[in-house]
Amino acid sequence: MPDDIAEVYRNTYPALVRFLYRKVWDAERAEDLAQEAFARALIHRPENTRGWLFVVAANMARDEARRAAREKRHLTLLKSEPDAVHTAPEESIDAETRTKRVRAALDDLTPRDREALLLWDAGMSYDEIATQTGLARGAIGTTLARARRRLVEAYDAGREGGQHVARG
Amino acid sequence: MQDGKEGSMSHVDEGTLHAYLDGELPSAERTSLEAHLADCATCRATLTEERALRERATAVLGSARPVEHPAPPLEQLRRAPTPSPWRVRRSFAWAASLALALGIGYYIRTPSYRAAPTAHTPAQPVAVADNRDAATAEDKARPQASARRGARAVNEVAKVAPRADTTTVQVAAAPAQRVADSLRMDARSVSGALVARAAQDRSPAAPTSIIVDGVPARQLTPTTWPVINRRVARSILGEEPVGLPGLATRAFRRAPGTDGTVVVEQVIDSSTVIQIFQRPAYPYDSTGGGYANEGRARVRGYATEDQARERSNPRFGRFVKGLRVEITGPLSTDSLNRLLEQVAPLPPLP
Repeated sequence: MPDDIAEVYRNTYPALVRFLYRKVWDAERAEDLAQEAFARALIHRPENTRGWLFVVAANMARDEARRAAREKRHLTLLKSEPDAVHTAPEESIDAETRTKRVRAALDDLTPRDREALLLWDAGMSYDEIATQTGLARGAIGTTLARARRRLVEAYDAGREGGQHVARG
Repeated sequence: MQDGKEGSMSHVDEGTLHAYLDGELPSAERTSLEAHLADCATCRATLTEERALRERATAVLGSARPVEHPAPPLEQLRRAPTPSPWRVRRSFAWAASLALALGIGYYIRTPSYRAAPTAHTPAQPVAVADNRDAATAEDKARPQASARRGARAVNEVAKVAPRADTTTVQVAAAPAQRVADSLRMDARSVSGALVARAAQDRSPAAPTSIIVDGVPARQLTPTTWPVINRRVARSILGEEPVGLPGLATRAFRRAPGTDGTVVVEQVIDSSTVIQIFQRPAYPYDSTGGGYANEGRARVRGYATEDQARERSNPRFGRFVKGLRVEITGPLSTDSLNRLLEQVAPLPPLP
């Protein structure tokens, strides 16, 4: 096993799962996709493993969203009794609500702002974010400033109004 | 922009401040920014605001994070799934019943089939119970040999289950054409996993896999297993059987012998039946922190190699309470996976 991938794996796996989670909003799928991204990295041996992983992960998350739309047909059958499947305790309902708000707030960002923010949160440097998004390095600070402001504003608006929650 | 000593004349933009706070400002710029901040109260105030915003955004984002599980060993990602002992034991029954179902299905449903075989459908039953050596070029070149093997599988079914319920066989046979169609459609998503597994199967105990029209297909169902009632299922398992709470249950069946496996057949729509295999978890299932007894236990990150091994098929197996549960049916891998996640103990009998 190449040491560099093992090293990247150790350091990047949780960040990649987090990154994917905020795209697919399903913790288990996020882990599956992260593991698949690493499995592919083991085969492809990219030059810049970390950057490559996030590109692949972003693509997989996009495919996942499309597939999820298709799968919805099957799953609507089960939606008739969604609460019978598991009864969530009080705290986890709160966590769920909070997650929905964050999701709605993230949806309020432009795709590019969102991507920059998620990549930064996943531990990427400005240089890496620039490479990933195609933005100039000098524009990353401005992009992140705008993304952070919109995220917080949308989150607070959702908490007060609740419309974002309903939409998410 | 940040070199104006007069401060109020030219203030620092927020992008520069965020880059500064992120530790991403090149050192020359950082030096001049800090010099400016020392003189400019307005920019110091802005910096405080932006710092708060940045922390707030991080907190908001951080409140939506998945529960973290330890990463499985990297080696594990390379390894194709290996069959569990349970799967090995069951696999022949699956192979045999698919051979039976498809074989009968083709003869019953398509009487004109033999008169006008198409180029890629041999004039023999197409279900082939494939031994581990059956995928060799030699066998591909000899479809008749494969067909004989299929016939042998059917015979084996007759031996294993001499009291095969004819009703059941007909039920299995009727949708056989449709099953074959969906298997073909599904083959792309499934073949990866099964092919990978086939490549791994070197041991003499390697299970059979199934080839339909030359492509690997998902293992189907023990339609000859005896039908039992809910109460018996419960006593075999030692707890309530599990299934998808929203779906109608067509039948409970038990594995022949003392295997302890129960299958719950549930109806998704008039032509789609899924099977949920379940058995009491092996004793060693519960050694790794007791996750086998956690209703929604996640097996994504492995605490031990044993757990990693147990999670032999990442797509179709999980633990629900004290049961090891697997799912199969004519749906895509993804659908099955999602359905599996919804499996829960069926509501107790009134």
